[in-house]
Amino acid sequence: MYTRRGSYTALIFLLIYAVEFVIVDQVHLPFGGFSLFLIFVLSWSALSSPEIGAIGGFFGGFLLDLAPSSNGPMGQWALILSAVGFGIAFLRYGDDSLRGSPLSLVVFVAGAVVISICAYVLLNSLFGLEVGNMRQLVRSIVGNGLWTLAIAPFVLPVASRLHRTIFETREF
Amino acid sequence: MRYGGDNRSRLLLVTLIVTSLFLITLDMRGVPLVTGLRQGTQSVFGPFQRAASTAFTPIGNFFSDVAHLGRTRTQLASLEDQNAKLRRSLIDYKGTDAQIKQLKSILDLAGTGGYKIVSAKVISQGTSLSFSQSITIDVGANAHITRDMTVICGDGLVGVVKEVYASTSLVLLESDPAFRIGVRIAGSQEIGILSGQGTDRAVLQLLDSQSSVKKGDVLVARGSEGGKPFVPGVPVGVVTAVPNSAGLVSQLAEVKYFTHLHALSVVAVVLKAPVTDPRDALVPPKPTPTPIPTVTIFVTPTPSAPGPSALGNSPSASPTPTATKK
Repeated sequence: MYTRRGSYTALIFLLIYAVEFVIVDQVHLPFGGFSLFLIFVLSWSALSSPEIGAIGGFFGGFLLDLAPSSNGPMGQWALILSAVGFGIAFLRYGDDSLRGSPLSLVVFVAGAVVISICAYVLLNSLFGLEVGNMRQLVRSIVGNGLWTLAIAPFVLPVASRLHRTIFETREF
Repeated sequence: MRYGGDNRSRLLLVTLIVTSLFLITLDMRGVPLVTGLRQGTQSVFGPFQRAASTAFTPIGNFFSDVAHLGRTRTQLASLEDQNAKLRRSLIDYKGTDAQIKQLKSILDLAGTGGYKIVSAKVISQGTSLSFSQSITIDVGANAHITRDMTVICGDGLVGVVKEVYASTSLVLLESDPAFRIGVRIAGSQEIGILSGQGTDRAVLQLLDSQSSVKKGDVLVARGSEGGKPFVPGVPVGVVTAVPNSAGLVSQLAEVKYFTHLHALSVVAVVLKAPVTDPRDALVPPKPTPTPIPTVTIFVTPTPSAPGPSALGNSPSASPTPTATKK
């Protein structure tokens, strides 16, 4: 059962990952645009239990680390998304007031995206990598958050339906 | 009620974090396996990205253009300004280049003739409303210019200073119908009077009825007393036609000026005539004709068979072409 669920999840992640790097990345949107894959992975984690959220985050992060455009060391995204995936699942899974509220889920995902990017930038600077100027960073991070707020309502129903089909444990 | 998690999930999280840190350590130590994974991903996605790029670039450009509409407009305006400036610079450069060439030829001429000159820019080509042919130059009394000074350019005579103002001067061109100059035919030393006709041609009238002139003769200024209004030796023009002047008192000839009076930008005013007359030293060298090879074909009949009387046939000849270059 776990193998089947894991395989389906991996397959869906790979598909979204391919869409992200083959199609979405071709369109240069203002204010840094958005990462469809990041939104999807964090939405998936938010819909899962903390364990699944952490594993999903780790796998999604590992795929992001494999991206040629990634300038950080291998495992950096995996580290961040494991923690953020666990965190978002933990917060949402355990709080009854947040369950069943689509708006809260959108805000959660947008917040998680912003935290993930901030963590990535922070780790990059800790590793001594070039992170760009502050103005550009703030613009990009805020832009990503706003774009996520706009895109997540369209991604979440898809993620929710696929998640329910595979796990049949969570509802949206 | 908030889910508190259990030891299992915490252990899983710690394991994942430790694995991530392990991967980071491996990558930062330069383990080739980790580096190779990224190259593998690029190899897999590269062809798809290239294909998608062709299809989605117009969409991407559209979004980019919409997003940067204001900036694009500003850039466009800035580029148009730059373009206009560059065009002006290019025109200025071409103009300057032509002026430098003219100035150089003037200096060559003045140096050979031993004239003391002041160079000047033509700031006005006269006006069609004025019936006299004149130009205005940017030097005047402040550069010690006085009336009746000779004005030359690299090709030869331009005219004579007619009016002098504080910082400009009016020059009467040699083509003006009122312009008269004493000239000498280089070589034969025959003298005559050259009269402007209002065009790029002038009429030469020789003073001696016995003297002769022929097409191609070069005329130079004879010079005036004290070098005013004309200094000696300045090339003026070349004889282009000699009409039949039978019955006339003196020989006439049509002369073409050396100077292109409609394309003047830099000229020079001769302040002081040379101590010695340069005579024919300033006569421009005659253009040497470039030989054009002509091909002449000679056709000579060569009998290929016994004579017609022997065979009873009509004569046949095979032409032998021979090429000669002259």
